[in-house]
Amino acid sequence: MSNFFRLVFNEQVKLYARKSTWIMFGILAAIILGVAIFGKTVGNFDEDQYGDDWRQQLEQENAEIAEGSSEEEVANHWGIEENNYYLDNDIKPLEYDAWQFVVDNAMLSSLLSLFTIIVAAGIIAHEFRWGTVKLLLIRPVARTKILFAKYTSVLLFALTSLVFLLVFSWITGAIFFGINGANPLLVIQSQNDYTQIAAWAEMGRSYGLRLVNLVMMATFAFMISSIFRNSGLAIGFAIFLMMAGNSIIGFFMEYDWAKYILFANTNLEQYYRGTPLIEGMSLSFSIGVLIVYYIIFMVLSWLFFTKRDVAGH
Amino acid sequence: MAKEPAMKLIDLKKDIGKKQIIKGLTFEINPGEVFGFLGPNGAGKTTTIRMMVGLMKISEGDVLIKGSSIKSDYKNAIQHVGAIVENPEMYPFMSGWKNLLHYARMMPGITEERIKEVVSLVGLEKAIHEKAGRYSLGMRQRLGIAQALLHRPSVLILDEPTNGLDPHGIREIRQYIRTLAEKENVAVIVSSHLLSEIEMMCDRIGIIKNGELVAIETVKALTKTEEDRIHIEAVPLDRANELLRQTLQLEPTMEGENIKLTAKREEIPSIVKCLVEGQVDVFGVQVQRSTLEDKFLDVIGENAIE
Ligand SMILES: Nc1ncnc2c1ncn2[C@@H]1O[C@H](COP(=O)(O)OP(=O)(O)O)[C@@H](O)[C@H]1O
Ligand SMILES: [Mg+2]
Repeated sequence: MSNFFRLVFNEQVKLYARKSTWIMFGILAAIILGVAIFGKTVGNFDEDQYGDDWRQQLEQENAEIAEGSSEEEVANHWGIEENNYYLDNDIKPLEYDAWQFVVDNAMLSSLLSLFTIIVAAGIIAHEFRWGTVKLLLIRPVARTKILFAKYTSVLLFALTSLVFLLVFSWITGAIFFGINGANPLLVIQSQNDYTQIAAWAEMGRSYGLRLVNLVMMATFAFMISSIFRNSGLAIGFAIFLMMAGNSIIGFFMEYDWAKYILFANTNLEQYYRGTPLIEGMSLSFSIGVLIVYYIIFMVLSWLFFTKRDVAGH
Repeated sequence: MAKEPAMKLIDLKKDIGKKQIIKGLTFEINPGEVFGFLGPNGAGKTTTIRMMVGLMKISEGDVLIKGSSIKSDYKNAIQHVGAIVENPEMYPFMSGWKNLLHYARMMPGITEERIKEVVSLVGLEKAIHEKAGRYSLGMRQRLGIAQALLHRPSVLILDEPTNGLDPHGIREIRQYIRTLAEKENVAVIVSSHLLSEIEMMCDRIGIIKNGELVAIETVKALTKTEEDRIHIEAVPLDRANELLRQTLQLEPTMEGENIKLTAKREEIPSIVKCLVEGQVDVFGVQVQRSTLEDKFLDVIGENAIE
């Protein structure tokens, strides 16, 4: 299999030989730093400092919120609910720290999706645009192998940038907000309630679930790139669908088959926080739908890459 | 045992849509031979080459490389082939060296020494660590040839390698193609739409027009055995005419001050001798070679050449 490894290595060399790849990491770093600076200054992420009298502090916060609100509003106010959770369970709220910062930055994984889409869209199409595909495909290596080396390289890029996002966020968070131990217990909202969860577990859960969406969209872009051999089209298509995904579901919501739309299933968070998008959907249903889409994307990528002529234009 | 051809085309055809682009090509190329694949633009040279290297599917027929079919035994067939198809396009953001490393990783057993060897063979040592995007067309042709030679192929296919080169560059390419064929027994296929650019490097030339092979000629035979057109300026003309007819059994025609005839090159001294001994004054002898170029033009029609 060392042969396959060398193909993947080649793809990585080509990827990192280009400035645009480094610019992506630069943008990611700049945004993380930006968020941290914002949090430290204007955003007051670490505004709440709780001392030994944290119970009184929470009670007072609740009282402040309750002032001037109707009874109904008070009952449903998230801040009060959260504070009550701490009080009821006798948990002292932690100060904002690197772990919390990393968890909050999970939203940046949509930026990772964007970058991975760009990489996936180019990895086949660029070879055609540059004309290098002719030299690439006249080697004693099956086209199928080259295709999967390219796909593996895309996933490797996604993984690398994810690790970068995590590590850079953590370091930045540590510098700006400090660290509460190696694996503190965080309080998060789930299913209309609050629970306590270890930082590592919460990171794994939230980033892991978002990876599902990332992999699906990257695979989709990869497929378009293989079919049309045009990266602009693949990027445009994939980003449009990523953005318009929710509107598309909204539009077809009333139909029975809406639950089979890809975007109704890519957000697996829906099974952890709140209720499913469409009635009758479950985690295993969504996983099944995703697997079917995934197989279709891969088979089409493969068919077009291996079976079609490399002809002049 | 008969010598196995390095490459064999068997009734090769390609249909694109409803149109037949390649209409049944059959020929062989032997080890150590330089084969010129000549034809006007749009004749189907590149399409044929794309089928030879498996970039395009073969509609009908087959290509055998050292006996292995590119259709059914792709890996065994392609491992003997090095090629440039159309322009030698490289990754512009990587150095020439990294481009070569990239292709070297796709083939077994290519050492760094071997890469250095091909770099020096094509004379790119100085520029090899510069980005390929900054190379001139001539340098890219050389890098293209270098990547095609990495794995010591038995068959080297170069699609219009003289494109964009000056006469000096063409002479250089000719030299290393001849060396490869003669010293390393490589079968080389060189396509071109200009006969003058490849005539001197080829042993044989196949002429393709509208997807059909219209002639295959051996270059040396052509220049040796063809009869030349000879113009002789002599006085008196009548006597010269008579002498040539009677003593040498030639059939000259008279045109103004000149006698015109066709004869082999070796016969010229005896013609002159015969005239001088017969008391005819010879003022000049002019030889007009019938070149491949004429033949090529005859075959494809002058208008087809740009
Ligand atoms: N992908 C294609 N689709 C349709 N026609 C094509 C395609 N590629 C080449 N052709 C046609 O095939 C003919 C041969 O082209 P080509 O092999 O490039 O010629 P050459 O290399 O001899 O200049 C041309 O008439 C060209 O228009
Ligand atoms: Mg051509």
